[in-house]
Amino acid sequence: MKHLFLLFCSILFTASFAQKSEDLIPRDAVTVFSINNFTLLQKVSLDDLVKYEFMAEVQSELFDGSTSGKTLKDAGIDFDQKMNIFYGRGKEYEISGFTFGIKNKADLFQVFDDFQLADSKIPGTETYTSFFNSLIIKGNSALLIRVEPLAERVNELTDSIWYANGNESPWADAYEGMEEDLKEESEKEVLQEEIYDEMPEATQPKTEDEFPVAEENPLQKNYYEMRDSVEMVLQIGFLDAICKDLFVSNLNLKAVDSRFAEQLTHPSEAIFFLDNSRNLQQSKKIWYLETMFPTLYTDLKELYTGNVLLGDLLLNNNSIEFKMESRYGEKLGSIYEKLNHSKFDKKVLNYIHKDNTAYFTYNINLREAYEQAFKVIMPILTNEKNTQMSTSVLALDLLNEFINKDALFGTYKGSMFGTFNGIKKVKTTKIEFTYDDETFEYQEKEVKAEEDMPIFTLGFSTERNDIPLKVLQHLSRLTSRFQNKGTYWVFENAILNAAPLYMIANEGLFIFTNDQDLAENHVNGYGKEALAKKDAAKAAKSGSMYANINLAQAIDRFPRDFFTPKQNEILDAMRGKTGSMELTSSKTTKEKTSFDLLYSYGGTYDNAGKYLLDLMNSLYIISK
Amino acid sequence: MCLFGRIPYFCFMNKLLIIFGLLISVSLSSCIEITDDITINADGSGLFKYTINLSESKVKVNSLLALDSIEGKKVPTLAEIESKIGEFKKILASKPGISNVKIEADFTNFIFKLTCNFSNVNTLQSAVKEVIKEISNEKNIAELEAVWLKWDGQKLERSIPDITIKKSKEFKTEDIEQLKKGKYTSISRFAKPIEKCSNPTGVISKNKLATMVQTNIYSLTKNPKLLENTIYLFPNKN
Repeated sequence: MKHLFLLFCSILFTASFAQKSEDLIPRDAVTVFSINNFTLLQKVSLDDLVKYEFMAEVQSELFDGSTSGKTLKDAGIDFDQKMNIFYGRGKEYEISGFTFGIKNKADLFQVFDDFQLADSKIPGTETYTSFFNSLIIKGNSALLIRVEPLAERVNELTDSIWYANGNESPWADAYEGMEEDLKEESEKEVLQEEIYDEMPEATQPKTEDEFPVAEENPLQKNYYEMRDSVEMVLQIGFLDAICKDLFVSNLNLKAVDSRFAEQLTHPSEAIFFLDNSRNLQQSKKIWYLETMFPTLYTDLKELYTGNVLLGDLLLNNNSIEFKMESRYGEKLGSIYEKLNHSKFDKKVLNYIHKDNTAYFTYNINLREAYEQAFKVIMPILTNEKNTQMSTSVLALDLLNEFINKDALFGTYKGSMFGTFNGIKKVKTTKIEFTYDDETFEYQEKEVKAEEDMPIFTLGFSTERNDIPLKVLQHLSRLTSRFQNKGTYWVFENAILNAAPLYMIANEGLFIFTNDQDLAENHVNGYGKEALAKKDAAKAAKSGSMYANINLAQAIDRFPRDFFTPKQNEILDAMRGKTGSMELTSSKTTKEKTSFDLLYSYGGTYDNAGKYLLDLMNSLYIISK
Repeated sequence: MCLFGRIPYFCFMNKLLIIFGLLISVSLSSCIEITDDITINADGSGLFKYTINLSESKVKVNSLLALDSIEGKKVPTLAEIESKIGEFKKILASKPGISNVKIEADFTNFIFKLTCNFSNVNTLQSAVKEVIKEISNEKNIAELEAVWLKWDGQKLERSIPDITIKKSKEFKTEDIEQLKKGKYTSISRFAKPIEKCSNPTGVISKNKLATMVQTNIYSLTKNPKLLENTIYLFPNKN
């Protein structure tokens, strides 16, 4: 009995401490998608899965012909564990990959058939490799990872070794005599081919595409060979360090970031984690700040500390809900809080037609945010003891004193709205050729034509309509393209050099639109044809941001030419889906702002997993 | 893939007039009208006119020009297009037998016109081939081996290089609709009256000195021979 009890305890102990897939996410991961309700994806074919950008970019070459006709269910994956997709960029390397549970290793290697068993340096783990990818299995969980040393670091080390060995610049030959050659070329206009033909083959110059010639001594490496070696050594070193962290020290993202650990406990279908503060620190552009203004860099880092975006994806009966929480530190939070301390301008609702396809309202208080930002950021800038920075601080201080802030923030308070009403025919002209029957000589004739154009309206709240009107009056003296039509202004051929832009200044709003009907017939708003009270109330109640899209209409009406082929692919994937998408936001506090994106779809759906992946992919692309 | 690149004959013409191709490459599924007009004098010299009219799609062309790139290919700025036009004009004008090269570019309506005089049709063909080679930096372009203009003093043969039309299968429905609206007009003019022309859709002007063939662009992608035409002049009276 005693032995049985001991055995039971040891099994329980092992099970409790066995690493699950979420325990294998490296702490360097900055962005993580974690799918909890993985069973949803059982029906998704692997071929479809690898087409998504978030998968394709991670490890697309892993999935070659071996995935053909197979679903995730056939891949030996354990659907009771979470699947976590991660990406991260540090100071020295970039990581990407995913972690998952394993149910049947034999099935798994039917799909991961390119992987070869390698020596494992960590006891209790199995390592498989394929090109630059490593698959590390511990118990029933696996980590598929690619570690790529940053090019700058590789170059820096290679250069250092190269020059320390007494070598000259690897590009010295390329530049040698270049000036002379250029001079000669401009003097004698003789085709290079002619010279080459006359030269003996051995002395003919090398072509651009020629590979560097290997040295006679195989131990003597040329620059590129040395660079490859450096890269490989770094890669192995970084991977070893990551594995030691994960499998020996149990240092993973979940262990080091309580926010992520807490997020993982949510009973949602999937969770999302993006550490913005680390994104800022690792940004390529920040190095200048770090080098030139170290104090400022430290202070800014502090300002951004705690800046994370956390998300939950919930799959309901007829909707998918994405709840996001933007968290930040106290100082940054104080600016956001002031920025969002604004009363909703109900007048904008009168300019949103009830049948519109998509609209948004954005409600902020720029004046208060400016004052708070000045209070928070100026001491940080002043702290930096540097001539350049001191001059900038002085300039900012003087501008703050001299600028008429009442006029500036009275003209643009920060609140705005926008609508998209799909595509309408707009009147343009075209040139036609008319042919004379006698001679077939032709003449050009301008005739009226119609073209499709997306119809939009963008307006902002203002206390000083007189200021933009002043600008328009002056512009109308300069060109006849600006015309005062009494209740509105028109700027001819402003949009794509073909269609007019209308401007309406009314009731504390200044509106830009290419909707002729709005300008000519509804300068005071749509009245009874405006947004329904129920919808208007939702927009008014939301925090700083509200958006509503009639998905079926919007996607069908989106002008394809304005998007890249990849974006069009995503839109195509969304086509045929009915329902609406609504974005609401909470009141902003010093700690956080919450956003809720609700995608309600009508009717039934065949494959919830596909919906989930479509949405996740869109989020991935947006967050990249 | 640009619309121009999808159409075999246009693909050739794109190389033929690369600068126009630059513009067309941003026109994707725009409605396009092309006119080629060749005048052959009694001595074999002549005038060549080539016009691309995108005015019906100027909103679309403007919107595409506002993009940085399309399918990974950089969209040229107006300044770059103007510069390329200048380059094309300079190269064409330097070719033997070619004179009075003029290019008019209307960036408001997006109409582009090329005119040049030639000493005989062979010099025109050679010049065009050389310009294409110089601009494209390709020495061996199979399509250039074809002879699309042949003149013996009594008859003119106009044909289209034999180029695969498999690309046209990649057209999307919306592209096809636009292609059907597009129009290609081919005019041949002579100093002497025309007796007949081989193309069944070809019409002869009332003064008998010109012939015209018209087709929509989509049909042309399906059958590049639609524009083939042999024009016979009345024999000289001895």
